[in-house]
Amino acid sequence: MEFTTQLLYPHDQALLAIMIFVIMLGMGASLIPDDFRAVIRKPRGVFIGFLSQFGLMPLIAFTLATILNFPPAFAIALILIGSLPGGTTSNMFTYFARGSVALSISMTTASTIMALFMMPILLKVYTGGFTAQITASLQATGTDADFVIPTMNIISSLILVLVPVAMGMFMRQKWPDWAKTAEDTAGFVGILVILYLLLTAFIRHGHLFLQTPIGVYIGAVGLGLAGFFFGYWFSRLVGVYPLFQRAISLETGIQNGPVSFAIILLSFSEPVQSQMIWLAILYSTFIVITSSVITLRYRKNGKKDWDIYKNTAIHNRLFGGEYVTHYPKGFLPKRLLSDPSQGTQPSQKRY
Amino acid sequence: MKHRIKTENLALLYQKAAERFGDLPAFAIRESALQWNPISYSSLYEQGLNLASGLIEIGVKARDHVGLFGDNRFEWILSDYGVQLSGAADVPRGRDVSDDELFYIIDHAGIEVTFVETEELQNRVLKLRSRLPGLREIILLDPKAKAQPGVKTLQELCDLGAALRAKGDKRVEERIAQIKPDDLFTLIYTSGTTGTPKGVMLTHSNMVSQVINLPGYHNCTDRVLSVLPIWHIFERVIEMYTLSFGGCTFYSSISTLGEDMRNVEPTFMASAPRLWEKLHERIIKGIKASHPVRQILFHIAYFLARHYKNSEYFITDKYLKMKHQPKWKHAMLLPLHVLRWIIVLPWFGFFNAAVLERIRLGAGGSLKATISGGGALPIHIDKFFNYVGIPVLEGYGMTETSPVISVRSINNLVVGTVGPPVPETEIRIVDPETGEVLYPNNKFHDNGLAQRGEIWVKGPQVMKGYYQDPELTQITFSDGWLRTGDLGVITHNHCLKILGRSKATIVLSSGENVEPEPIEMRLQQSQFIDQCMVVGQDKKFLSVLIVPGIQEFRMAGFKERTLEELAINPEANKIILEEIRKLTSQANGFKRYEQIRDFRMLPVTFEVGNELTNLYKIKRHVVEKKFNHVIDELFTNGTTQKN
Repeated sequence: MEFTTQLLYPHDQALLAIMIFVIMLGMGASLIPDDFRAVIRKPRGVFIGFLSQFGLMPLIAFTLATILNFPPAFAIALILIGSLPGGTTSNMFTYFARGSVALSISMTTASTIMALFMMPILLKVYTGGFTAQITASLQATGTDADFVIPTMNIISSLILVLVPVAMGMFMRQKWPDWAKTAEDTAGFVGILVILYLLLTAFIRHGHLFLQTPIGVYIGAVGLGLAGFFFGYWFSRLVGVYPLFQRAISLETGIQNGPVSFAIILLSFSEPVQSQMIWLAILYSTFIVITSSVITLRYRKNGKKDWDIYKNTAIHNRLFGGEYVTHYPKGFLPKRLLSDPSQGTQPSQKRY
Repeated sequence: MKHRIKTENLALLYQKAAERFGDLPAFAIRESALQWNPISYSSLYEQGLNLASGLIEIGVKARDHVGLFGDNRFEWILSDYGVQLSGAADVPRGRDVSDDELFYIIDHAGIEVTFVETEELQNRVLKLRSRLPGLREIILLDPKAKAQPGVKTLQELCDLGAALRAKGDKRVEERIAQIKPDDLFTLIYTSGTTGTPKGVMLTHSNMVSQVINLPGYHNCTDRVLSVLPIWHIFERVIEMYTLSFGGCTFYSSISTLGEDMRNVEPTFMASAPRLWEKLHERIIKGIKASHPVRQILFHIAYFLARHYKNSEYFITDKYLKMKHQPKWKHAMLLPLHVLRWIIVLPWFGFFNAAVLERIRLGAGGSLKATISGGGALPIHIDKFFNYVGIPVLEGYGMTETSPVISVRSINNLVVGTVGPPVPETEIRIVDPETGEVLYPNNKFHDNGLAQRGEIWVKGPQVMKGYYQDPELTQITFSDGWLRTGDLGVITHNHCLKILGRSKATIVLSSGENVEPEPIEMRLQQSQFIDQCMVVGQDKKFLSVLIVPGIQEFRMAGFKERTLEELAINPEANKIILEEIRKLTSQANGFKRYEQIRDFRMLPVTFEVGNELTNLYKIKRHVVEKKFNHVIDELFTNGTTQKN
């Protein structure tokens, strides 16, 4: 499939840039230096999350693109999205899914920094075949350019995106009231802009929706869902607490969408840019819906272990750290019995 | 339901709870904000058994009445426990009991053994002792207080019992086995909003029926915050209910409530409307003080929540349905509501998560539900909390019905009503003048739904009667139905709505009947009016006594420091007059004869124990008596404004 017109006009790009700025600022505003220290203090959960985010997710993206026979530009975009770090959206969903918000935040901070090293490597490993296809088609049309992944550009875009994050963190230290406002506004702005882009795409390029192969839709929806699924089972098999399973699952599936826009706009050019942006829009739209559904499901399923965890944590808060809550026989599900985080032992963890 | 313990009497409930929940905390006592002392189910039961043995040893017989005077503290609970385990019934009252009432209760209930909480209460009872020949033993609860000669301490009695039990004393077990469902577990003297103290006889089966029938889904991970007076039946039923599912009751107080809500993160609590008004006030103040952008976000969130919930209420048929809705009308409106619900849903979803969750965190963030009782919850408060996602379940009841007659449940939450009757309970609506049954009555359309009248109740929670007062009991009951004296109506979705207290009804000299409560609630929506009471019995028109909100006046720039000074400030009077006119205008739905013609600002506030009951309901007769001269002046000096 070919995009005959440019998908985004300059003013759309400007809007997107503002959105990226606002969202990353909001992300920074929600972080405190202690979040970084927490990563070092409790590396196990973060490490498992790391394996899931940078090990599983790009592999899932590559597999989906291959199985569904993606056009190369879409495939590169999907793999790019699969290799992204997590964003603050996942923290909010984790909160409502009764997952460990602390772990989610730690994973977001750790992955944002790790992405600087991991993304170039991952893209190199997984996109080789697809770049070759593009080069081939370019040469077929008579252009003798080689299509390569602009690694350095990607790294500099990532660093550029970190600037507003740093500003947000600074704001949190200096003007906490403004920081809270920025945090609240960010999510709202994100949704508004995504909706605007969808709507304009629909009006201006209505044919796009029809032209996009069905496989691409499946891929855009499936990437998030598969991320949730494998993230959950991987962490469960590794043996982390239910609270962490939900956090890792959501963190794996939900990627930092705005960063993908930034990278695509700053590092890629036509003829692939519009297609890549289109996939990023599709992913960002569907992920909101799928993660809402998954969150509701986790919230319901996790009710019991969350109630137990919460009650135990509050007992420790009010009755002293040594206090042990003994639940009646048969009340704790088997899965929780051997789990120190659920308060059957005094070594209660405060996640 | 499956998590609840069901037994025949309360002593068995304590026993079973100790067996099942053992080391879980049953109660937690506050030392400081982050330091609380837990008391486990098994240790509470153990101590209760010891105390009961001690009580039996000093001569407490089965079905005796044991006095229990004091306020919220662990020793109170232990005493309550001990009395019931010994097969006796307690007669509770708070510290604010007057000497006359104290004498009346001890004498009338035939109390031989009594608990007193503090040194002060001990001395007061000792003073009355010469006039109370039946009173044999006084037991002091406060471990820090000094016992006078002849007064035992709670600890002594527990030690005595422990020593006996160590030697194999099994009298408590025998007593427990002999408790009949019809035995009293408590005898509560109420003065309520009207009249002299009456001894309400409540039985084990009354209380057990409540424990079984209250709606709710709780288990042993629940935390219940307690703020109401411990001896009030509403508080006691919630405590028993909590014991039945293994939750922990945390004792808070009005002054530390906000802090305790954040630290304990309660999942359930019982409260009076006043608490929700206070919390609402604090939340609104917090929002007004926040960043302008966040204020806007809150307003958007609240707007969305209102539309979302209202459509949800319509779709699920859970809106205040005072009139019969024809099917075609419902069918026509339904698609519109579904459409609105769908359009609002994603936006509401986002704002609910980003903005309203912060509001909920102000109440701990974990509340599954709260029951409000003991008075009418103003509708705007009711709506506010339900819109922002803190499910406030308003209930209705009275001491005589131990106390819950009806209450909303999470699945049947109709704002503006007090929900359907609890299981096994029947309600009748009766014409207070003619005595004709209006509901259920197939003479009327819809079997009498929407007919207004006095509420009559029949059910397992209804008291045995008033102690040694067969006449009053006879007047209160009619054919086995308890006449509540309250006016109500059954809505078209089978929920009870309370319209007012028939005894509070003001009859104007013109013969018009006026319910003062809706007018008062309306007036209290004004930020400048803190409390108020409408008067005008047998007069030509209505007037109102007002306790102004001095904080608000000061924020509006008034310099007055006291209510006295404020009351004579003409500017302040002008503001109040404007507020009254605005709020109770005919445009706002008030009839001509419901208009307030005059008012007076009072120099003092209404206080609990004096003008207010412990659940913040106005004692009308007390206010009338105390401000007799003001009321006289209102109606003799003519009006300050002529319509």
